[in-house]
Amino acid sequence: MKRRDLLKGVAFGGVAGAVSLSGFPGIWTGRGTVLAASGDIPVGVLFSQTGAVAVVESTLHDACMMAIEEINDNGGINGRMITPYVEDPASDPATFADRANRLVRRDNVISVFGSYTSASRQAVLPVVEGQNNLYWYPTLYEGRECSRNVMYGGAVPNQQQQDFVPWLKENFGGRFYLLGNDYVYPREENNVCRMILDEIGGEVVNEEYVPMGHDSFSSIVSRIRRDEPDVIFCTLVGDSDVAFQREYRSAGLDPDRMPVASLTRSEVEVAAIGGDAAAGHFSSAPYFMGHESAENERFVEAYLRKYGDDQVTHFVNEAAYFQVYQFKAAVEALNGEELTPTAIRDAAVGLRFQAPQGEVEIDANLHTHLWPKIAQWQSDGQAEVVVESDERMAPEPYWAYEGQVCTANGLENA
Amino acid sequence: MNTGFKIDCIGYGLFAAFVLLVMPWMVDFSGYELNSYARYLALGMVAAALALSWGTAGILNLGQALTFGVGAYIMAMHLKLRASESLPGGMPDFMGWTNVEALPWFWQPFHSLLFTLGAGVLIPVGIACLLGVFMFRGRITGVFVAIITLSLMLAVQLWIISEQRFTGGENGITGLAPLNLFGWSVDTYELSFYYLVAGCLLAGLAVGLGLVRSKAGLVLRAIKADPERVRFFGYDVARYETLAFATSAGIAGVAGMLYALVLEFASPTYMGLSISLAIVIWAAVGGRESMVAAALGGIGVNMAEGRLSDLFFDQWTLMLGVIFIAVVLFLPRGIYGLVATARDYLEARYTERVAMALNREQDDAARPVADRGEVK
Repeated sequence: MKRRDLLKGVAFGGVAGAVSLSGFPGIWTGRGTVLAASGDIPVGVLFSQTGAVAVVESTLHDACMMAIEEINDNGGINGRMITPYVEDPASDPATFADRANRLVRRDNVISVFGSYTSASRQAVLPVVEGQNNLYWYPTLYEGRECSRNVMYGGAVPNQQQQDFVPWLKENFGGRFYLLGNDYVYPREENNVCRMILDEIGGEVVNEEYVPMGHDSFSSIVSRIRRDEPDVIFCTLVGDSDVAFQREYRSAGLDPDRMPVASLTRSEVEVAAIGGDAAAGHFSSAPYFMGHESAENERFVEAYLRKYGDDQVTHFVNEAAYFQVYQFKAAVEALNGEELTPTAIRDAAVGLRFQAPQGEVEIDANLHTHLWPKIAQWQSDGQAEVVVESDERMAPEPYWAYEGQVCTANGLENA
Repeated sequence: MNTGFKIDCIGYGLFAAFVLLVMPWMVDFSGYELNSYARYLALGMVAAALALSWGTAGILNLGQALTFGVGAYIMAMHLKLRASESLPGGMPDFMGWTNVEALPWFWQPFHSLLFTLGAGVLIPVGIACLLGVFMFRGRITGVFVAIITLSLMLAVQLWIISEQRFTGGENGITGLAPLNLFGWSVDTYELSFYYLVAGCLLAGLAVGLGLVRSKAGLVLRAIKADPERVRFFGYDVARYETLAFATSAGIAGVAGMLYALVLEFASPTYMGLSISLAIVIWAAVGGRESMVAAALGGIGVNMAEGRLSDLFFDQWTLMLGVIFIAVVLFLPRGIYGLVATARDYLEARYTERVAMALNREQDDAARPVADRGEVK
């Protein structure tokens, strides 16, 4: 066989292989899982179940799936079942964008539930905005975003701080030590905190940022000891929060005199810190597992029964749960009209739903009216709610910025 | 024209046909998957860039994603400025968040598209040259090169995350405008964009192949085999190594620019540890000795990842892992090695047969005429 013949053979084999590939389009372009039967409502579920933040983010997936199952078990939405298309974006922004593409462009879902981190939300934004889809984002975040394609289910800074900071000053004093991981959420929360402190006559004794995942806090704890602040205002997340709280405890600091006031610490972090080390400190959020209400009892009971007694519910997976019900209410409100992401969005505005935290409402700016709570951690790892807002608080994602308002028409400069 | 070059050309032609015809054909020349495929091509391109320095010159660059990420950020900076034109001071939103007063000087030139396109190649090349001068003049080789490139990449990544006033920090640069390429507004879901990426990939490979088959490429292969001996011949080893390293960085920079275009954002994860190691795996699976094979490895692994994650939701990472282990154990030269071995085998058989035929003719010639039967 001459070389030329060999190469001809190779070329032919390549083409033949390609033909056989395109002969099985199902393998390359089809969906592996069952396609939605006509009449079903396709939605995307996009939470990381592997990778760096999977520990928390998978609990959002669990809560979201639980809500979908509950709805389907009770006859669906006007008799139509919700078909979840589940993807695992593996805590990686690029994968988030890729999987969102699949959901929105190929699977033709009419909404996507997903994301925990801001980075992943922003990675998905070009996809949902480009296709005018709807992204239900359950996490508290730093505000200053006003997309018409995102339903924001978590708190923005004014909903976490407006009551919290004055309360802290009243009970412990106005000298704050601001401590956070170095990314946009802590910086923005601290900007807001400074503003409130300026207004009410408090002061910032120090403002410090550590890299993500940083876990040695001995020098910071000694600076805290030196500065003797009244409150340690803390926006550390994940491992850093855990490491800091342990260091605080082993240094023998006293939560009664110098409590840690956190915006990010939920039942998940406290479970990792250990109840004893977290006891006595405070968090501000719209939801705690220990909140007493009939809806919450039902939610917690169903969640633990489904996923195990060692699991916890917290302020992010509660939102992941109720957002599915908000979606359901919006689809019901459309009453047989054509289901498009935009129609669902418009129908959702003003809808109220009795969530575990209380009755929530969707604002025209697509953020959610929530029930701020201040809670103190107990040694059993649960939070005891000490202050409960007596009214639903409106979301103002541009609260700290004069002249900018997020409205039904997007961001407006006054 | 020698045999190696001929084989390269044929492989390149087949690859071009695959990228230009077969891949788009698989999705009927349309659809969202073209966007994913364009992404795979960009990743294939960075794998090819690694093959150029690793496979040809023996420089294992564990920080290949550095120049890739720099390219992505350069493109994102240009697009971000375009998207921020209506904002106060023309400043990106994240700068307003962190109370930056005015657009920093090093952002200014990125208003210009031409500057951006040039910088996307030349800045990675510059980084590589600078690094190359220090490493290769210092005669640093092997695992130390890997450590230095890896740590430099991680340092830059940390810096980008911490300087969020200027870089967007952890979230990266998001909310980009579409690229306007001399009047053509690029839609990343169009066939034309796919061909733009494919064209860049093929051009990058052509540059790389040109280098490999030039005299410099010969010297580089000699360096890979034995740098000391090449030095004794009077060649400036460091200069050749820097040449390969910098060309590879330039190609990776272009790949990064394309990647940012496809995904419409730049993120510090683009220059992370996991993608850098993934690039090494892609090149290893395809075969690091050939840029085309490495590109094919990058495209193939990412395609498989896309399909497997779709078909086998839970087990796909495991399956991919098994494939990688199998390749490392049984095909240390990658798929290219398999093809090369098969080719060598067939070639050997062929020469053997030719030799046998020649022998027979000689034997025939040696025999008396009377014995030759029909020959009069």
